[in-house]
Amino acid sequence: MAPDAENYTFLCPPSKEEQEQEPVYRAPSNYNPRLTFHLPAGTGRHYQQQYGDMYFLRLAKLKPTVEQVATDAWDGLTIAGEKVRRVDRVLDVRQGELCWVAGTVYMHLPMKPNILEDLSRENFTSAPPPLRTYTDPSDPSLTRIMLEDESGRLRLTGNFLQSTQLATGAIIAALGTENANGDFEVIDIKLPDLAPQLRRWNGNAPENGVQAAGKEHGKIAFVSGLEITGTSSDTLALELLTDYLLGYTGFSGNDDNSPSLGSSKISRLVIAGNSLGASVIGDVASTNSGDAAAKKAQPKKYGYDASAYNAAPITRLDNFLAEILPSIPVTLMPGEKDPANFSLPQQGIHRTMFPQARAYSAPPVRGDEKPEAGWFDSVTNPWDGDVEGWRLWGCSGQNVDDVLRYISIEGGNSSPDKETDSDARMRIMEAMLRWRCGVPTAPDTIWSYPYQSDDPYVIESCPHIFFVGNQPQFKTATIEGDVPLRLDGDTEMTGTADDSDAARVRLLALPKFNETGELILVDTETLEVEVVRFGVFKGQEEQK
Amino acid sequence: MDSKLYLAENVLNERNPVTYRLLSRALKVHANRAKQILFEFHRNENAKKPQTVHATYVISGIQKAPEPAPTNGHADDEDEMMQSSPYLPSSMPNQDAASDSIRTTSIVLAREEDLEDAKSTFQSISTIHVYSLQPTALPDLNVLVDANREIANTHGQEDPLECGKQWGMIQNRNVKRRTGARPPPPAPPAVKAPAAKASKPSTEPTVPAKRPLQKEAFPAKTEATKSDELKSEPSSAANSQTSSKPSGKAAPAKQKGSLFSSFAKAKPKTKASATAEPAAHSAEDVVLDDASEEEAEELFPDSTDKVAAATRENRKEREDRLKKMMDDDDDDDDDDDDEADDEEMPDADEEPREPTPVEQPPPSKPAELKEEVTVQGGRRRGKRQVMKKKTVKDEEGYLVTREEATWESFSEDEPMPKKKPAVNVPKAKAGKAAGQGNIMSFFGKK
Repeated sequence: MAPDAENYTFLCPPSKEEQEQEPVYRAPSNYNPRLTFHLPAGTGRHYQQQYGDMYFLRLAKLKPTVEQVATDAWDGLTIAGEKVRRVDRVLDVRQGELCWVAGTVYMHLPMKPNILEDLSRENFTSAPPPLRTYTDPSDPSLTRIMLEDESGRLRLTGNFLQSTQLATGAIIAALGTENANGDFEVIDIKLPDLAPQLRRWNGNAPENGVQAAGKEHGKIAFVSGLEITGTSSDTLALELLTDYLLGYTGFSGNDDNSPSLGSSKISRLVIAGNSLGASVIGDVASTNSGDAAAKKAQPKKYGYDASAYNAAPITRLDNFLAEILPSIPVTLMPGEKDPANFSLPQQGIHRTMFPQARAYSAPPVRGDEKPEAGWFDSVTNPWDGDVEGWRLWGCSGQNVDDVLRYISIEGGNSSPDKETDSDARMRIMEAMLRWRCGVPTAPDTIWSYPYQSDDPYVIESCPHIFFVGNQPQFKTATIEGDVPLRLDGDTEMTGTADDSDAARVRLLALPKFNETGELILVDTETLEVEVVRFGVFKGQEEQK
Repeated sequence: MDSKLYLAENVLNERNPVTYRLLSRALKVHANRAKQILFEFHRNENAKKPQTVHATYVISGIQKAPEPAPTNGHADDEDEMMQSSPYLPSSMPNQDAASDSIRTTSIVLAREEDLEDAKSTFQSISTIHVYSLQPTALPDLNVLVDANREIANTHGQEDPLECGKQWGMIQNRNVKRRTGARPPPPAPPAVKAPAAKASKPSTEPTVPAKRPLQKEAFPAKTEATKSDELKSEPSSAANSQTSSKPSGKAAPAKQKGSLFSSFAKAKPKTKASATAEPAAHSAEDVVLDDASEEEAEELFPDSTDKVAAATRENRKEREDRLKKMMDDDDDDDDDDDDEADDEEMPDADEEPREPTPVEQPPPSKPAELKEEVTVQGGRRRGKRQVMKKKTVKDEEGYLVTREEATWESFSEDEPMPKKKPAVNVPKAKAGKAAGQGNIMSFFGKK
């Protein structure tokens, strides 16, 4: 099958005279990060506020939208001779009356971490232990779903709920009646659905220089979960990745067979969290001294115990970045295991962690200048921004992982089938976009900064690429929103709807590189996805 | 250097693995040429005497689906139509089935012995090249990771912006790098260079943390030449060491990283008024001072394993000192605050601290309490003002405790008041101001 080895370009002796190799140039990157999740520095950051404000703001922002959607759908609807009525507040729902109301979902789950309980047990300093699910699969009846607004709470029931997935923090409109128990029997629900989507380049033609480049297909590369440990057990895959990104190996630009694969087309690398392996610090601590093991469970903070601090992982990461930065711009998001704050939005990993790579970062901001985007950009998590004209919205994975805990997956505690698991993750990602909320369960079960005047987790402008890092498996899909202008209700869709008007989102669940060795490439023109997998061939010796 | 000589020396004599990138760096040839050189060497040596040199190969191409595959390729990677949840508006785009499978390409590293097996897993192969040569078959390919770290150690000083073209790296016209902040070459100099007295390059033309806006075509060039100048300027080895990290940060930036650098950063604060230069500079000065007095370079040994072993002793000492330092810090609250600030590093952009002239520690002295002393007949008598706590019941029946300044008299047999911590002049405070200075002398004298 394989042609004779001598046919490959590199499997031959070098030619006598050293021929000048044509330098390959990388496609330029058009990059405009947004500061949606950027917290004020130092004294501008307060932690005294109540979290209630966030829910209030979220409801205030999304209620009009969801009410609009619901009005469009349910206005004038009659069911069994009864006309559907709209109710403004949750508390105004009258028993036996067919009506709909909008509010925030709150889910009460048996295993959900409870701050009051934690306080009473005085273990409020440590991060909640990771649970696989908050539900109790043996007794689904313990799960209670409620709808709340400023006025009060209403318990939702009905078979309809079993066929839907909801999570705390989502804003919905529910149609139904209140039954004798005072519960609201739900017949149907509506979501805000996809936010309005800007066109690529925000509708404006890009600046001249970029436009010319925009004609060719470029690529945006995504990777997550590098989990560098700094030990020699670090996978060779990382070396291969470096080689590939720098164009040393693989399908270099002058390879005629697969020009589209040339890594010179990759204009930017986005690293979505967990660049450092977590266990290392714990391990080192526990080997160094016995009592350090007690600290293992705690979230990572600054101020390491000097004796337990192992600089190797971050040094290795710094080397990796410094190696690829001369050739490719990098956007680095922190993740759960990275040395950044634990609560969302995680702020960028501080540049002093990267003594070498920092040379490529933007100059420090003075005063209230608007910070400019660095070649090496250490950004927040979640993060949104424009790359090659497309709006990206991404998170390092906490959002999906957490919502997944709200959803009971068949199979109970045994680990679910990979396929169903990643399907569920895809559906959650879709749901988030339709809820218009990227991190619905913050601040309930994801630690969050107590925003007071704005809820940045609300997705006000639908992204073109919605990515989530550190998922067990690579998965992608495209979703489409409704065509914004509906004339006579959606049943009479003529099919002539202009495709370009419908919001289209590319969903990406990024795998952990450390486990899969996969780098995800997204085409900048078609948003099509490619995977490049790096690995080591397990020979017979290892397979024994 | 002759390539054969180099390989013979390293692979056959030293018995080290040599990767194509290491070779490319060492011989300053294009990576693609290095691959061919490795191939030729491998073939020639094994022709002379089989099994003297072992190779690993990188195969890139499209792999067959690992499982007894459905025609479509790896099930994991399908761009699958999701079942949208019942309540969601049906929204699935009607993508045709053709786009269902995602193009997956693989880049796989394989041993010479496994090459054929590895090849057979591929559906089509776009390239194969030699990745490395080593004298024996590698039981664990991860050894090659160390071989690549070797690159960083021995060739770390070469500016990638300058030499990248030569190595065959994909070039980027738009790369933005801050000048003046040439990152320190990792490690190796640390061993040779007692960076010592050649130091204090405060006169060097450092461009403080300002980066030219680079719309022009070859900004890299100018930078490159700049750093070139820097390099060629000093002749001695030690000199070139210092010049390669002209902007300070260097030593703390070494492997052991942030803890120390946070100190290094804290230090200039005390010095602030003394140096009108950018903080980066003063930081450097401080650092280099260290270097001259005690082998600070060794303070930051590179954490790669070889050197680590050698300097383990050293590290112990250092840790002890660090711990001690931490303890010292604990004593004075204010310092702790500073510390916390540094460590917290709330986010990347909040960093003006580093290059801006640093703030001075606020000379916060609480209102001095007065004291009058009269000397009568050889005895000192005096009055002094002290803060006393008074608890009173107010009109509403609450107990109110307030501090009031009252006068009390004292005579010389009584201890001098200033020493009393009860009196609100915190001894700690005073000690602290000095204490900060002491951190510096901590490095200096000892």
